[in-house]
Amino acid sequence: MTPRIIAANLVVRLRSFSREKSAMFFTVAFPVILVLVFGAIFTKPEHMNFELPVQDLDQSDASAKLVKGLASQGVFETIPVPADADAIQYTRDHKINLLLIIPKGFEDMQLRRLEEWDDDASVTLTYIYDPSSTSLKTKLQFLNAMAAAANQEISGTSPFITLKEQSILAKKYRFIEFFVPGIIAMAVMTSSLSGALNTNAELRQKGILRKLATTPITRTDWLLSNVLYQIVLAVISTVSILLVSYAVFDVRLEINAWLPVYVVLEVFAFVGIGMLLTPIAREAESAAAAGNAFLFPMMFLSGTFFPVEMMPGFLQKFARILPLYYLNEGLRASMIFVDNTTALRCAAITAAVAGVVFVAGALVTRWDQGA
Amino acid sequence: MTHSDDNAITVEGLTKHYGDLRAVNDVSFTVRRGEVFAFLGPNGAGKTTTVEIIETIRTPTSGRVNVLGMDVTKQKRDIVPRIGVLPQGFSSYDRITVRESILYYRRLFGCSTTDVDALIDLTNLGDKRDVQFNKLSGGLKQRLGIAIALVNDPEVVFLDEPTTGLDPHARRAVWDVLLGLKRKGKTVFLTTHYMEEAELLADTVAIISKGKLVAMGSPEDLIERNANYMCLTLRSAEAGVLDTVRRLGFEPVRDDRNNIRVRVKQTDDVEAILSGVKGAGLALPGMDVRKPNLEEVFLGLTGEVLHESAPVSGATP
Repeated sequence: MTPRIIAANLVVRLRSFSREKSAMFFTVAFPVILVLVFGAIFTKPEHMNFELPVQDLDQSDASAKLVKGLASQGVFETIPVPADADAIQYTRDHKINLLLIIPKGFEDMQLRRLEEWDDDASVTLTYIYDPSSTSLKTKLQFLNAMAAAANQEISGTSPFITLKEQSILAKKYRFIEFFVPGIIAMAVMTSSLSGALNTNAELRQKGILRKLATTPITRTDWLLSNVLYQIVLAVISTVSILLVSYAVFDVRLEINAWLPVYVVLEVFAFVGIGMLLTPIAREAESAAAAGNAFLFPMMFLSGTFFPVEMMPGFLQKFARILPLYYLNEGLRASMIFVDNTTALRCAAITAAVAGVVFVAGALVTRWDQGA
Repeated sequence: MTHSDDNAITVEGLTKHYGDLRAVNDVSFTVRRGEVFAFLGPNGAGKTTTVEIIETIRTPTSGRVNVLGMDVTKQKRDIVPRIGVLPQGFSSYDRITVRESILYYRRLFGCSTTDVDALIDLTNLGDKRDVQFNKLSGGLKQRLGIAIALVNDPEVVFLDEPTTGLDPHARRAVWDVLLGLKRKGKTVFLTTHYMEEAELLADTVAIISKGKLVAMGSPEDLIERNANYMCLTLRSAEAGVLDTVRRLGFEPVRDDRNNIRVRVKQTDDVEAILSGVKGAGLALPGMDVRKPNLEEVFLGLTGEVLHESAPVSGATP
């Protein structure tokens, strides 16, 4: 191992990187854009606000109070529908998926029940809906809950069962906070794997490896300078992702010593896997294809974008054999839940995988012409 | 063969198989220190395989190869710092400039005293020093490759087809650089399929065909030994000339420019033909007698054309 040679390689690679706009894009801009886009999409439900058109046929004080009550929860923003409109036609014409009708006689029934103690007095609120709408189910849940609360209140007794939430997690987290560690793991995986795979194939194709084989650089120098280069790229993309997440979404994440540990382990693991794939993908084009064939299933099945628990059972089992799963779990354990036991367990598994694939990858790497 | 200090390279019984293909078959030769040695052969003859074995980046199937007295299979680490290589189709990092590329290889070799600007001047890259590799033309890339091959002030320089794919002007510019190396007394191992290149630059030419060495010597030697005849060309359109020469016992042929070509052994033959034609009262607007060139020698030895653009008409009997 010669530090002078490793440094020379690192400098030339970083210099190439800084002058290559597409490399800059995929390392820095792409993960940042993912954070921005997914963050923007999934942050919305936290201030959930549905429009609810209401046709009040009763036009009484009681019905007006009900409409006000619907809006007071902050879930619905009620929109008055003219009493003389045909509800179904109105729903179609205005392309809405849920319309609530308060029937005529609502106030009378309410008075009979409350003042005259008439238990037979009841009202039926009709809703017109479009069953193909995806948000319908959520809206109906809120409506049902409101109706149940109103019924219970009108009966005059205090509720027997109430629910109080207590999370098993030390703290509550938002989707974006779940998402950021996943994106870090994904970005580091992508740049390390494709870096190891494409660079080697490209340098071989261009004949640079053949020239390097006639210089004093050894296999160890070569591998170490590649890993160092990938670590620098991983740090650049991790820092960009975190900066944007803090600046735009004001995330609350724990940044502790686990983060650099995971980044370094992940680089070794995926550079190793890249080196293992290199012999089967010698041309630069097939290298890119082989890399993608590996990266995409890994990304979607390891809990990068959504929790693994959302997948069917057999896929959850499958996820547990993917290295990225442990990186996602471990990074979330350290960055969100500050769960050192899980972080340690996942780091140990990742380290073992990284060690095996890196050594195997180093052994199959023929960076010179070989026999 | 000897291992004397005069020899920069000694190759003995070198054989290299790729599966069933015998790329190099029992090749032996020596390269003296300070000479320009041209390894000449058509594509696929085994030139690059041989040179890459000598450069220590391929291993031989059998045979012995010594560079500067060291065995290529056992002393790679000692050989590499003392040789410089321009690989076939040399390439470098796209976004790195001429000067940065030379500095990079200088660091790899740990030769901090090498004068980078002198190398840039030697290869006439002065006005390109800050140009990135991917912006260089083919000839400039090759010249940069030669500059890089010299960063460690090597005792032996290997140039694998340094001018292949270059236009005549760029080829001339590379030759100028190579002549400079020759003047500096470097041992140069040159592989090429351009005959002119070998004739212009080489002290010794070795001809390889289908993995076997078929001839070796100075260009003059090779011509002398392998072509003991002269080419007489008669510029005449008259049909009678052909018959007259044939009647004199020669085998004339008409080439694509309607000239008549005759192979003759000695100057007496030329006189006989000229007086024969004159005696028959036929017009003879012009004539030319010359020695065959290496191209013809090569064709005669191997039955192969060196490269696609090689003129074959000169080789007609």
